[in-house]
Amino acid sequence: MAARWNENIVAEHRDLQANAMSVDCTGQFAILAGKRVWAVINLDTPQDVVKKLSRQSRWEVSVVEWNPHVLQKNLFAATSNQSADIWSWADGCGRQIASLKAHTRVISDVNWSCFDSNMLATCSVDTYIYLWDIRDSRKPASALSAVAGAAQVKWNKIDSNYIATAHDGDIRIWDHRKNSTPVQYIAAHLSKIHGLDWEPKQELCLATSSQDGTVKFWDVTSPRQPQSTLNSTAPVWRARYTPFGNGLVTIVVPQLRRGENSLLLWNTDNLSVPMHTFIGHSDVVLEFQWRKFNEDSTDYQLVTWSRDHTLRLWKIDPHLQKLCGAEEFIDDVHRDMVSISPGSRHSSISGVAIEKTSLGSDKEQTGSAVEEINEKVKNVSSSATTVTAGQPQTLQQEFSLVNVSDITNVKLDALDAMHRSCKVTSVHVNNMVTLNVSFPANYPNNAAPDFTFTKPTNIDTKTKSKLLKILQETSHQHVKRNRTCLEPCIRKLVTGLETLTVDDKVQDSSQTPYNLQNVSVVKQPVMPIISYGSYRDHNIPFPRTSGARFCSVGKLVVFMRPVVKKSSNPENTPRSLSVLGTFRTLPIKGMASQTSQYNIYNTNLGSPTRDVEVSISNYYKDRDRERKIRGRGSSKHKRGWEVDYVKPTSSGLVTVYDIEIVLPIHKTLAQNYVLDHNDIPGMCSKNAAAAATVNRKEFGTLCQHCHREVKGAHCVECKRYSFQCAICHVAVKGSSNFCLSCRHGGHSHHMLEWFQTQDVCPTGCGCYCMQEDFQLYGRERTDSFSRSGHTGRERTDSFGRSGITSRERADSYGKSGFSNFL
Amino acid sequence: MFGNLLASCSYDRKVIIWKETNGTWDALHECNNHDSSVNSVCWAPHEFGLMLVCGSSDGAISVLSSAGDGTWETKKVNNAHTIGCNAVSWAPAVVPGSLIEQPSAQKPITVKRFVSGGCDNLVKIWKEEEGQWKEEQKLEAHSDWVRDVAWAPSIGLPHSTIASCSQDGRVIIWTSDDSTGSMWTPKILHKFNDVVWHVSWSITGNILAVSGGDNKVSLWKESLEGQWVCVSDVNKGQGQQPSEGPQAEQ
Repeated sequence: MAARWNENIVAEHRDLQANAMSVDCTGQFAILAGKRVWAVINLDTPQDVVKKLSRQSRWEVSVVEWNPHVLQKNLFAATSNQSADIWSWADGCGRQIASLKAHTRVISDVNWSCFDSNMLATCSVDTYIYLWDIRDSRKPASALSAVAGAAQVKWNKIDSNYIATAHDGDIRIWDHRKNSTPVQYIAAHLSKIHGLDWEPKQELCLATSSQDGTVKFWDVTSPRQPQSTLNSTAPVWRARYTPFGNGLVTIVVPQLRRGENSLLLWNTDNLSVPMHTFIGHSDVVLEFQWRKFNEDSTDYQLVTWSRDHTLRLWKIDPHLQKLCGAEEFIDDVHRDMVSISPGSRHSSISGVAIEKTSLGSDKEQTGSAVEEINEKVKNVSSSATTVTAGQPQTLQQEFSLVNVSDITNVKLDALDAMHRSCKVTSVHVNNMVTLNVSFPANYPNNAAPDFTFTKPTNIDTKTKSKLLKILQETSHQHVKRNRTCLEPCIRKLVTGLETLTVDDKVQDSSQTPYNLQNVSVVKQPVMPIISYGSYRDHNIPFPRTSGARFCSVGKLVVFMRPVVKKSSNPENTPRSLSVLGTFRTLPIKGMASQTSQYNIYNTNLGSPTRDVEVSISNYYKDRDRERKIRGRGSSKHKRGWEVDYVKPTSSGLVTVYDIEIVLPIHKTLAQNYVLDHNDIPGMCSKNAAAAATVNRKEFGTLCQHCHREVKGAHCVECKRYSFQCAICHVAVKGSSNFCLSCRHGGHSHHMLEWFQTQDVCPTGCGCYCMQEDFQLYGRERTDSFSRSGHTGRERTDSFGRSGITSRERADSYGKSGFSNFL
Repeated sequence: MFGNLLASCSYDRKVIIWKETNGTWDALHECNNHDSSVNSVCWAPHEFGLMLVCGSSDGAISVLSSAGDGTWETKKVNNAHTIGCNAVSWAPAVVPGSLIEQPSAQKPITVKRFVSGGCDNLVKIWKEEEGQWKEEQKLEAHSDWVRDVAWAPSIGLPHSTIASCSQDGRVIIWTSDDSTGSMWTPKILHKFNDVVWHVSWSITGNILAVSGGDNKVSLWKESLEGQWVCVSDVNKGQGQQPSEGPQAEQ
């Protein structure tokens, strides 16, 4: 194999300084995009640059992607900073045809739809994912709002409606017909997800590559647990499925520069060792894409662009493809046992893929083409269901592919493909299980295998029935989609045995919940049961644990959670209800993380071991405690935990505050106030007394000159009379009136006298006080002002009864122009 | 007028209207209009009749109104807020400016309005037009989820006020000085260190109670200069006496 490793074509393009690369759908051209230049390269002669286009921009090209549709093969999208530009490459020259501008932050990824040649998805750290129809570049055709910024966006390769996005360690799956919320939410990794790729053959499967050095394979209908995990030594930048077989290519994160620049080819059925390591690049690989070597060949070429400024084309010959479980191998050996020369036909997988690609692009056309397409679609789909692309075809094959070498306590024997049965033996502590599995004739096409326990199984019937249930659920879940299930079943059996026998009490919680998630959530929007912390809760705001609300009778009702410890770290306050789920799923302590995960769903059933209700009110408390527990030695964990939980949580207080005192209106005061036009001073003193009984101070007086509150006739600040009568020029004490417009006034009786005959201000300032006040407060009030000479207090009172904020207004002397002095 | 009614909304996607008869509370009506948690309900001013608005995490807002014969009519605004609606609050029934305007021949037509806030960081004002709820205004200032909105009570002065608070820690006072309510000016009351969950106006519309993730309640009042000042901290929840609490008297 060693010789083959070096079979690659190298083309050095040091001058381009490119950091993005893309291969067009025909495999003819590659584009390399750098800060200053675009270069189009014919991959048949990769040493030569067909065309160089210079570009002027402060920003690097972050992503470039050719349109995958043959009809629009000349188009490519390139993003730089906040815009995505659509370029056309035709007849040896390129021109920009559209610029898609909507994002407010740097665009992190762009992806053409596999079905509609005009559809493009862009995502950005600005938290939005926009779907564009490139025929209308003014605004996105649709917007998905994700709260968190997205690093990757990828269209599903089989169902045109689904889109996956990566947000830090989470995956969201969207149905673009229902763009308000994601249809699925997967907390995939604890570290950032760098790469995302949909399975080309299975609608609901995808792979995520992350900073944590793993690639996880997901069935989006079971977001709680990956189907399998690939452990790599370094953070994985991209992991993409190969166009043939069950292969996967991974590259490491470019920022690392640790000398680690591996470019690995894996078989997803065996994730323990890579199938092949491509050696040649002296620096990290920035981008890799596939091209068909030529139409007649089954060989693929892997095109890689590295930071060492070389473009390499690696030939993936049939042998390597076979290592990745490519179809020829299966077809040739098992179906007809005749060795067909690899050059004679395409693998059916690639056939499907290519047909699909052309399908999408043809969609625009009408008439007979459509019919033809429909026929093709039928073919494609039928072949997809019957062949079950990429899956082992026979039982023999499945047996040979089962890989449980990573599990120590399981043994697989009596593999008999003829009689369609096998025997699985698993031992855990003192428990031993021997399971006979027999496969029906049409397995795995919606026919689940039969499981029976045989001697020397030594577990009780209850555990047996539970294990059987787990196995049946697992197998049904797989065969439902015509997928083989032996290996997943074995894994389930082993984990099930461990969980069930560790602690009998835990088992209650471990059976139902997992499958709640398996109920195809994508198709069924209604939650099966009400449970906090499920994936749908990420958009449900975290409940308020404290609050205050005024009620209409002068009370303020306040509730709070009990103060455990003074912590003012805003990071602690969760955003959404889903935090309860993540909080619970964190591997907290000695107890298996799996069981704690299950417990989230059992809140309403109750768990016999731990009387833990995940409730909002004890969220903070639990968290604080857990933090403490984690800090302590592990021996104390269990005890501390359980003792604490037995104690009832003290509840928060609900406090009702009487806030009448801060309100400008007062019921009792209003009732006791008197209006007596004939005895104004007497009325005032009565009212003052009334105010005193309800604990209200007398009205404050503001200095006319410096607007400070004063007591007495002189202002402490400016040493002048705080309020001087315009008629008699002495300081005013007692009942008074003044103009709201010019602020002049004086003793009530002086003012009354004056305005009975005059309408201008007595100071001679020229203000028509009567008219001004009329305009300010309307006829009635001004009339009452002029005729009866109401004191300000009365007016306050009348205001108070009508519900206005009179005291308030009285304070804002300078602002509202309404004030009273006594 | 309608008896003692209580509306509750819940994570179970339901809104239940409860009625008290002879000291016992019974469910009068149960609405299952939403696909996700219902986060907020608010009764309309009594002038509008028995009417209730609900905001849900499914992004929709529904307005329930009693026909009077025990049946309830629902009007739903779908996709009112992307991701989800967190809060709703009715505008007062009093027409802005009606207090001081010259009494004119035709009575001003009462327009039904409410304000909503959601996970799209927006505050939206909705107006009923020909029996349909239309988005009248979209107020943008928050940088994170809006957690609560509160339309201030009014006696008919020509300005309207709305308070909104957000996950970003900001409380914003929106004011509109024309009676049509076409221009809204935001003013940041305060930026708190933690998420603000709740805003509530006093009946007089001059004091705002603010509470949030820091487990504190504070009362705010507009000063003479138009600045919002904290007049009281109801701290720690230790049950302060009301008399020593608020110090707003002058």
